[in-house]
Amino acid sequence: MIAGQSARDARIFAIDDEPANLALVEAVLVREGYSHIETLSDPRRAVERHLAFRPDLVLLDLMMPSIDGYALLDSLGRLTMTGELLPIMVLTADTSIEAKRRALALGARDIVTKPFDVFEFGLRVANLIELRLMFKATRPNLRFD
Amino acid sequence: MDSVTSPVIACWWANRPLATKGLVVVAVPLLIFLGSVAALYAISRMEARAEQDVRLTIAIQNDVNEVHALLAEASSGVRGYLLTSEPRFLEPYKRAETLVPQVTARLRGAIRDDEAATRLARIETLAGQKREGLALLLAARARTGADVVGDPAIAAGLAANKQVLDAVRDEIEAMQERERELLAARQDRLDGVRRNGLIATGLLTLVGLVGSLFAVFLFSSGIVRRVQRLESDAVLLAQGEALETRNAEGDEIGSLAGRMVEASRLLRARERALREGEERFRLVIEGVRDYGIFALDPDGKVVSWNTGAQRIKGWTGEEALGRHFSMFYPGDDAHKRSMRNLADAVRDGRTEDEGWRVRKDGSRFWANVVITALHDETGALRGFSKVTRDITERRRAQEALELARQEAEQASAAKSLFLSRMSHELRTPLNAILGFAQLLELERSHAGQADHASIQQILRAGRHLLALIDEVLDIARIEAGKLGLSIMPTSLETIVTEAVGLSLPEAESRHITIVSEAGKLSPVAVDPRRLLQVLLNLLSNAIKYNHHGGTVTVMAHDVGERVRVEVIDSGIGIEPEQAGQLFQPFTRLAAGAARTEGTGLGLSLSRALVEAMDGEIGYMPRADTQGGACFWFELPLAQTPTSPGPLTPRAVPAAPAGPREATILLVEDNLANAQLIEAVVARHLPQARLISAMQARIGLDLALRHRPDLVLLDLHLPDKDGDWVLAELQASLPEIPVILLTADAIAAQGEWAAHGASAVLTKPIDVPALMVAMNTMLQERTA
Repeated sequence: MIAGQSARDARIFAIDDEPANLALVEAVLVREGYSHIETLSDPRRAVERHLAFRPDLVLLDLMMPSIDGYALLDSLGRLTMTGELLPIMVLTADTSIEAKRRALALGARDIVTKPFDVFEFGLRVANLIELRLMFKATRPNLRFD
Repeated sequence: MDSVTSPVIACWWANRPLATKGLVVVAVPLLIFLGSVAALYAISRMEARAEQDVRLTIAIQNDVNEVHALLAEASSGVRGYLLTSEPRFLEPYKRAETLVPQVTARLRGAIRDDEAATRLARIETLAGQKREGLALLLAARARTGADVVGDPAIAAGLAANKQVLDAVRDEIEAMQERERELLAARQDRLDGVRRNGLIATGLLTLVGLVGSLFAVFLFSSGIVRRVQRLESDAVLLAQGEALETRNAEGDEIGSLAGRMVEASRLLRARERALREGEERFRLVIEGVRDYGIFALDPDGKVVSWNTGAQRIKGWTGEEALGRHFSMFYPGDDAHKRSMRNLADAVRDGRTEDEGWRVRKDGSRFWANVVITALHDETGALRGFSKVTRDITERRRAQEALELARQEAEQASAAKSLFLSRMSHELRTPLNAILGFAQLLELERSHAGQADHASIQQILRAGRHLLALIDEVLDIARIEAGKLGLSIMPTSLETIVTEAVGLSLPEAESRHITIVSEAGKLSPVAVDPRRLLQVLLNLLSNAIKYNHHGGTVTVMAHDVGERVRVEVIDSGIGIEPEQAGQLFQPFTRLAAGAARTEGTGLGLSLSRALVEAMDGEIGYMPRADTQGGACFWFELPLAQTPTSPGPLTPRAVPAAPAGPREATILLVEDNLANAQLIEAVVARHLPQARLISAMQARIGLDLALRHRPDLVLLDLHLPDKDGDWVLAELQASLPEIPVILLTADAIAAQGEWAAHGASAVLTKPIDVPALMVAMNTMLQERTA
């Protein structure tokens, strides 16, 4: 993990319609030392909140009753500027190979199936944060916040 | 005689040839005429002879009178001489002396009547006596001189002479009398002959007339009337009427009539056969109920109708005939559309159409219509035949089928959605349960020992529930046909080794030894991930239901077209009565249930998986006497032998001095294969850039964006088949070489080459072959 201090400052945006899971994600992230965590249980407000929060990592549940997770994944992907790298991690209870392929094809950087192993989840989050920070380091003149 | 003979004669007559008949008809009047002429000739001859007879009789009478006159004058002259002695009185005597013999001689020649001849002879005798008497007188005169009156001798001579002359006179008179009688008789006969001749002439004339009439009659009856009858027969024949059969006469006309009757009969027979054929055809056509078959004239007017047409369209023949067939078309442009159909039929000879048509009552039906143009032998359009089928029911059935298919698809989609939701709904709460339990466990320094045990229970139960959910979903997927199997030729030894390796920790914890007796085996056609799952399941069972320190044996061998794998344990085995339930879901046999973990779905899922891979799975008691269970399964062999497993070190061709800065696009959804190829490229073409896609569309997008130097294309992709990508690449980027990767060992190289592939490699990928192919293509590309 490079630039430990800055990694802990990373802004993480978690979207899940199940409050228990949001609570779990937040608990794990807090335990890992992250402080800028935004959780959202109403995915219809995802875009609005995404623009307001300017996350470094998005954690997205794909199966939500009120909205199509794939469509949301697509629209969040479109919010990133050309040339920008904003990792999106998909959290899904759908273990089917089709779901994985589809999510990856739509631009998800990683997929974690629920129920997830708490350690594994923490490591994968760290990986994506690292990727994001490396990208930001290569583009110092871009303003990300 | 008439009743019997006449028909016989008529028949005989009728049977004579025409030449004979003509001869007869001409000869009969001719013969009668000749007969008449002969008769008239005979009659005239008879008349002439009778006239001659009359003339002869008259001549004889004259001659007799002359003889008498000569004798009388001679007698008078002699008397005068005797008295006067003058010589001039002797002149009659001398004339008589010369003429009488002449006349009598002539008479003798002329007389044919016997009585007259007798009398003539007597007259001649008397005439001789008379002439002798006169001669004696003259002699006496000469002796006595002049005085003869007184001479007695002379007186006596004179008296005698006078007597002779009287006798001659009598005889002549008698003879004349006779001749008169003869003359009268002959005259009578002449008259008779003339009368008879007249009668005969009349009769002959009559006969000639009758004969001519008869000949005309014969001619008429024998020829003219029959020729006329023949002509009327010919007229009938021309009109196609039947001719009566009659006894054909033997002559040419009869023969002609017979031939005409035969011709008529033949004509009738042909006509009947034709009519029967037509009738049969008509009955067949008319009787067809399922097809509306009718004919149209060139303008489209109905000219024939059948039962099927009536049934389908509702119009009777009387109603439909003569009307334009556009009345069967619905809508305002019915006429236009109907005529377009006819035009199509004229152009192509035949046209087929499907669409709504309208019945008499206005209801519609879905029709299949075939219109065929009918031409005569000169090629002129005669009309159209139209065959209509009411396929409304079929269309409905098709629609119902389509609906059912859509419903089934929807149901299938719903089932998939349900599975997906189930998975989500069951896993989501588990996520929180297991996650927080893990967090609690991590914080256990703050919790008591009892809490720690409780957290362990939560975690264990949660993981069990997760395993259960996964297996239930797997079974449900298999049943829904949603289990995406990736069948490929797979080395069984590799899978067995991997499964044994993964099972070792569990086995070791129970001090159980795993023995693998899988030798050299043919590759099998399976999904390796799923096969591993099955093997792990069986091994897990064999370990769980074993006794402490027992053994598990894995055996594998070829059985014909299949490979058989057996997993044998040294446990207590399974009661025969329980063996039947082994593969039922949630059957955990009592023996091990108490002390073993398991979902109870493992065997059920294994069976579903093996059967989905065209295999067979089963249980049998252990063959030897050591007890324990033996689970076996058999799997089909792959079509062709494969090269040894991936990443086996092999002599790789020396890295050619080819281009290094190439871009290679890999379109492959199988992660293991993708990793293999990435490894190969990284090692042998370190400067090459490898971009990869797991889906066809993305692969194509990447190809269009990056324009790679080489495409490695898997034929079996999740969203679209590889051949679609190949076709698209050929369409837009034909210059880029494509190496196909396929698990289908029988794919013909030539066939793919025709589709634009540069090379085809079968899975598992032979690394050296892949290297050679990639180098060749890249060199060609930069050359």
